[in-house]
Amino acid sequence: MKIETTRFGALEVGEDDLVTFPEGLLGFGQVKQYVLRDHGKGPFKWLQATDQPGLAFVVCDPMSFKPDYRVQITQSDMDKMQLSQLEDAVVYVILVVPSDPKQMTANLQGPLVVNPKNRSALQLVLQSEEYTTKYRVFQDAADAGASESSSETGR
Amino acid sequence: MLVLSRQKNETIMIGDDIQITIVDVRGDKVRIGIVAPRSVKVHRKEVYDAIREENIAASQVDENALSGLADLLPPGDDTDPKD
Repeated sequence: MKIETTRFGALEVGEDDLVTFPEGLLGFGQVKQYVLRDHGKGPFKWLQATDQPGLAFVVCDPMSFKPDYRVQITQSDMDKMQLSQLEDAVVYVILVVPSDPKQMTANLQGPLVVNPKNRSALQLVLQSEEYTTKYRVFQDAADAGASESSSETGR
Repeated sequence: MLVLSRQKNETIMIGDDIQITIVDVRGDKVRIGIVAPRSVKVHRKEVYDAIREENIAASQVDENALSGLADLLPPGDDTDPKD
């Protein structure tokens, strides 16, 4: 099917690319259907709404910068997605990417959990206050000792 | 806003399916028990608001925001830079 997007123009998407959020995302509760697209070969993807051309998010796998990140999910949320085991799920976090992309932050308190078998997804609100909504992907990851040598944060 | 007074162990009904019970009162902290259908989301408001605000901020991302970035994070597979 073809969808219109403001950032990428017209896109051809297959059924397998679609992700359905029965409850939408917080603040965007009316929008239920998205498509996930890779951004180059890195860890970032675009989550583009299929019938709201201007609505898209950058997401990524939180393990790529915080390998100890763990999501707690209630049985009731797992039932909503027909997820039998948390290990089957794919977790993404939404990124706020400002004009200087090295200042990007990840919302670790509101992760997206996708069931790849039925492509149903939820945005969780984590009950634990262990994680922040504004995790600084580059600075905090570097502090945790996970950085490569090439980050150019000048002093 | 409807304001009701309850004592410990008393309950409020919201509609037919939601119950709010005062489980404990200790100083200025109140422990509240909630019974609700699983379709009804229940969250502390400040957390809910913070997540919603982050979503809204994130939705304003520019399509060129990620230019040149893909090679800065350790990738899942190969290390080829973005085309």
